[in-house]
Amino acid sequence: MFSKREDQYLDDKDKKMNTRKTSSRNRPMIQWARWMVLAVMLLASSLALAAVHNISLTAQTLPNGQLAYALGGSEAVIPGPSLFIKKGDTLNVTLTNNTEIKVGFKVPGLSQNSAKVNPGKSKTYNIKAKNAGTYAYHGNMDGREMLGLFGAIIVDKAHGPVDRYVEDNGNKTPVTQAQIDKQFVLYMVGSTFWGTEIDKDGTQKPLWANPNPGAVKDDIVRFHILSIGPGHTFHLHAHRWLKTGTDEVIDTKLLKEEFDTHSFTIKAGSGVGAGDWQYHCHLIAHMEAGMHGSFRVDDVGGNGASVVGASPYGGILLGPRQNEPGLVTFEVSDEPASWFRSARGDAIVKLSDPSANGSPLQGLDIRTKSLEVMKPGSSVNFIMSDTNGVHTISSLIWPTGAHHMPYDQSSAYRGGGIVKLDTPGLYVFTCKVHPYMFGAVVVDEDPSNGLDIGNPQQNYKIDLVTGIKGLATNSDLAIRLLKTFFIATAPANWLDYSSGTWNLRFPTIPLIISGPPFTNTFESDGFPIPLSDLNASETLNAGSIPAHPGVGEVWVNTQFEKTAGKYKAGTTTVVDTANWTVKRKVALPQINNNNPHNMWTNREQSVIYQTQWFDNKFSMIDRETGALIKNIQVGYSPSHVVTLPTNDDITIAINGENGISVIPAGTMNVTKMLPTQGQGHISANPHGHWISSDGSKIVTPNINTSDIGIYGAQGGIQARTPTGLGAPGAHPIAIGMMPDSSKIYAANLLHHSLSVLNEQGQLLKTISLLGEYNVTTGEADINNNGTKDNGILPIQSPVSPDGKAVVIASTGGSIVIVDTATDTVVKALPCDPGCHGANFGAKQPTVENPNGGYYAYVTTKFGNRLTVVDVDPNNDGNLEDATIAGYVSLVDTNTTLKDDTVSGLPGFGGQGVLAVPNVYNGWVQNLPAAWKQLLTDSQLNPVGQSN
Amino acid sequence: MSFQSNHLCGGTELSESSCSAQYIPHALLRPFVAVLIGIMMSLFLSGNIRAAEHVIELTAEETRDDGFGNKLLAYKMLSHKIGGADVTSRYSTEATIPGPTIELTEGDTVKISITNIIQGIDQVVDGITSKQVSIHVHGVHYDILSDGTLKVINKRDDEGAGAGLEEYHSIYEYKWNVAPGTAGTWAYHDHNFETHNGAEHKGLFGAIIVNPIGGPQYAKEYVLYLGDDAFWGMEINGVSKKQSKHGPNPTLSAKENSRVRFHLIALGTDLHTFKLNGYQWFDPGTHNLINQAAIGPLEKHVFSVKAEHSSQYEDKNLSNRLLGMRGKFNVQ
Repeated sequence: MFSKREDQYLDDKDKKMNTRKTSSRNRPMIQWARWMVLAVMLLASSLALAAVHNISLTAQTLPNGQLAYALGGSEAVIPGPSLFIKKGDTLNVTLTNNTEIKVGFKVPGLSQNSAKVNPGKSKTYNIKAKNAGTYAYHGNMDGREMLGLFGAIIVDKAHGPVDRYVEDNGNKTPVTQAQIDKQFVLYMVGSTFWGTEIDKDGTQKPLWANPNPGAVKDDIVRFHILSIGPGHTFHLHAHRWLKTGTDEVIDTKLLKEEFDTHSFTIKAGSGVGAGDWQYHCHLIAHMEAGMHGSFRVDDVGGNGASVVGASPYGGILLGPRQNEPGLVTFEVSDEPASWFRSARGDAIVKLSDPSANGSPLQGLDIRTKSLEVMKPGSSVNFIMSDTNGVHTISSLIWPTGAHHMPYDQSSAYRGGGIVKLDTPGLYVFTCKVHPYMFGAVVVDEDPSNGLDIGNPQQNYKIDLVTGIKGLATNSDLAIRLLKTFFIATAPANWLDYSSGTWNLRFPTIPLIISGPPFTNTFESDGFPIPLSDLNASETLNAGSIPAHPGVGEVWVNTQFEKTAGKYKAGTTTVVDTANWTVKRKVALPQINNNNPHNMWTNREQSVIYQTQWFDNKFSMIDRETGALIKNIQVGYSPSHVVTLPTNDDITIAINGENGISVIPAGTMNVTKMLPTQGQGHISANPHGHWISSDGSKIVTPNINTSDIGIYGAQGGIQARTPTGLGAPGAHPIAIGMMPDSSKIYAANLLHHSLSVLNEQGQLLKTISLLGEYNVTTGEADINNNGTKDNGILPIQSPVSPDGKAVVIASTGGSIVIVDTATDTVVKALPCDPGCHGANFGAKQPTVENPNGGYYAYVTTKFGNRLTVVDVDPNNDGNLEDATIAGYVSLVDTNTTLKDDTVSGLPGFGGQGVLAVPNVYNGWVQNLPAAWKQLLTDSQLNPVGQSN
Repeated sequence: MSFQSNHLCGGTELSESSCSAQYIPHALLRPFVAVLIGIMMSLFLSGNIRAAEHVIELTAEETRDDGFGNKLLAYKMLSHKIGGADVTSRYSTEATIPGPTIELTEGDTVKISITNIIQGIDQVVDGITSKQVSIHVHGVHYDILSDGTLKVINKRDDEGAGAGLEEYHSIYEYKWNVAPGTAGTWAYHDHNFETHNGAEHKGLFGAIIVNPIGGPQYAKEYVLYLGDDAFWGMEINGVSKKQSKHGPNPTLSAKENSRVRFHLIALGTDLHTFKLNGYQWFDPGTHNLINQAAIGPLEKHVFSVKAEHSSQYEDKNLSNRLLGMRGKFNVQ
């Protein structure tokens, strides 16, 4: 049974068939004559119509650092100029590169030479439009074309209707180009729409970011939706249109990964009337990231004008049009320190150098590329254009009372984000998956007087995502957070022990804070003080190596170290504990090894399992040779890996997703992902898991849901226990377990606490690592011994194999020791900024301790040495003598074996650390004999003779 | 449009040409076929030609506690009357994910209201977080006051039930015009809970099926929402219209050689590649046979097959495949 409209569809088809059949019924001569006429006509028409378009494009850098194409001498725009041609036409595009990097011009789907152009050079690309359709063109830069080098080529049929639209009575009406009232190009890039309006006469007007295109009811409007990079779905409220090339009526269209296009035509407000009709990407994460605008349909008589969005030329620091809404843009990157890198970050660093003569920013000494300044009402834009991982873009700090805060997404994703900021003050963004990625924007009407750090209407106070509201910006905590930002995002401020000095420099521009630092005093106009008052210069000494040797090797993920043979950062540094030298660097240039984060090893101790945290890969490395065995796709942002002590199966926490990937022992493929949450529930995003010594339980710190999950080794949720005592976003990040599995310890990064749970998942205790920390003055005494210590921002927290101690690496710069007998803090030792990883290895017997005992190996991100801690040198069970046994430089030497040449950030980025042999209870028993003979009886039986 | 062109073809053994033959009769026969169809349609539709008026009441509530206090949200059918006749019994008496599937016919009109019975909804909100739930529908016609969005989007009103950013409505009613040209399967979902993006990803979603007048009947209809870790589905008996088997990765059943129709809609953040192993179907709106379909959030993909053998439906997306995003299609 056919509906009325289907009949029409078939009628159309029949008409075509009838045309052919009519000619076949004529006599041969007439038929021949007709064909001749037709052939001549076709030839003539094609000669007449196949135009050659010579187009001159330049690639330019915009005021906010984004890149864009300009047509001829006109202004560079995003998206680039829309090129309208006819099928059969030829397009000769001459591209001149006025940027500082290599750019290209590529049109996927239309064949051409896709070579790139060097800065200052030109090149011509010849493109033949063989088929009608909408095509994306872009800069062909491995993702970085998402910075703005993209545009649309619309190839229409030479004759006849260009499209059909759906009437309010369901009819599908063909339209010619002449009948179209206006056209919009909406480019979906990251999580931002970039628009252009094309008038009936062909005039193009940039609508910039997330515009509100306008029309009058019943206008015939053609939309060209394009995308490059991660995929999207486009949805426009209350309108319907045809899926290209079909009779399918749709209102949402997939634009697939890499590049895609979709053109359609509507009659504005047809059947639904005037209104502000939202258009948006329908991926939840992109919706949450701000990927929307409105299609404004005015009643007949209205002007149907579009509202232009924020532009790279608008009201940002040094921007040319201060009265228009501006846009600062951060590239989300796998590059150490520059994880949120302003598109003009390099320029700002150069312009603010003390030696930058003539620069408007000379001497401001901004060493970070992750800071931007703009006016209220401007927007901040993020593009995941330089990363292989998934991320969130989440508020950490915002001015008290600011609108649209906190900005956040419910799960990690690929794309970008955009948010308009109206309230003056400091906004800091982070990634919940990689919580040391920082980007900061200061919103200020007039930055020349200094930068407002809090909301001027609220005594320059800020709010923190952890639930702290109205924090005075002259408090110790606020200043500590500022310092942390300017250290973490500027490698020049890191502790390079190989250089011998530490030059800590902060910007010289005054920051307007609540009052004099470290007081309860508020000044209504704010208190201007440059952070450079805290500048320090000191001599660095890497310290001496431990007096006593350890057993075996220590593998350290020097995650930020750069090598010449690959683009992505990170190596693994192997320390020989016999003489405390750097034995080997494993860079794996052949796979562009990306931010190696954490490791484990198999029973034989022959293969190192390595996660790549900013990627979706996991590699297997031959321990003895450092050679790559296999690089395996396991899921986005794999963080930690642990084997099951029972069968040696590999479990990998998929930090960017919602489960634990399993690779059966002896194989090289993921066979399943154990879900960390019920179906349909918010992703847990597990980070640093641990497994009970009997192999029955997998315990995960779930960073996105702020709870501890306990799962069966074959799957199944046994418990989900919230941490943080009700505070929002405690962010549990790593797990340690007692050797008999009787207790679970979880470090809460943003709650500055250690949760203690029993093996059923019941919360036994929450140990504060802030002590009596006074947020205003900074006074703290974590262990009541008179010293001012705290364990701010705790990360890894393993339990010693003998179950005596928890060693917590706190990224604020301390190593906290907890006695498991009392679950109290007994000691705090100093650590370099960015203290991160901790794990235990066996220590060789000494006179003091004939049983050997253990060393805790502690890594730091913003320093380049390994800290070796002896938690109980005399083995008397009292941990108060816990001490730093020594330090090991992680910089390579001329005896270090390497697969690539270190080219930057030597030995930096210490994160995951693994001692080989693996001496934890449950695993130590499975060691091969050759390794066992290096251990003492008590090391082989860490929980007594029962094992 | 898409549905009618599919319904007679399905299974693996049918070639494209054998299918097409049923749809493109010889040109000379076309007028006669058209007349014949016209007569058949008028006979079939007599007494049923008038557009129906639907009055529907939905609630939104919490559901599916995972055992550890984490809950999802869901719609529940309170009442559905068609021209005064009560058809509420076709729906589950529980709040379900997906929400009730509402079958409509082109030409119908709908008044649909939402009541918010999520706990804590009456608590004072701080002016930042919306506690309102709404129904934003795809596909059919409605004016701006039935958009189901917050005022910050539509410039008119917080169009839902409960405390919005600016307005509070205890019940909100939407009017839909199921106009000609809206045949198809479309999503409805919340657009207002907590933010202007709503809580569609927390379970507040369902489907409407708009049939063309005189559209074909199917023995079974299956609604499968492709989420970020599971299919959320239901089965509808084509005769009794009774809806069952709600929940994740349901086992679907069909009688051998019966004609059944799948309604896929995606939702969440993932992009999917759907397969029904061993089956082919027409790409909607075309005569192209396909055996898998790429589908992104809130896209729809509807096809019918003749149930010939048991099979499995699945998502080929790597992580979802590893998480076990698949279900059985049992044919007996």
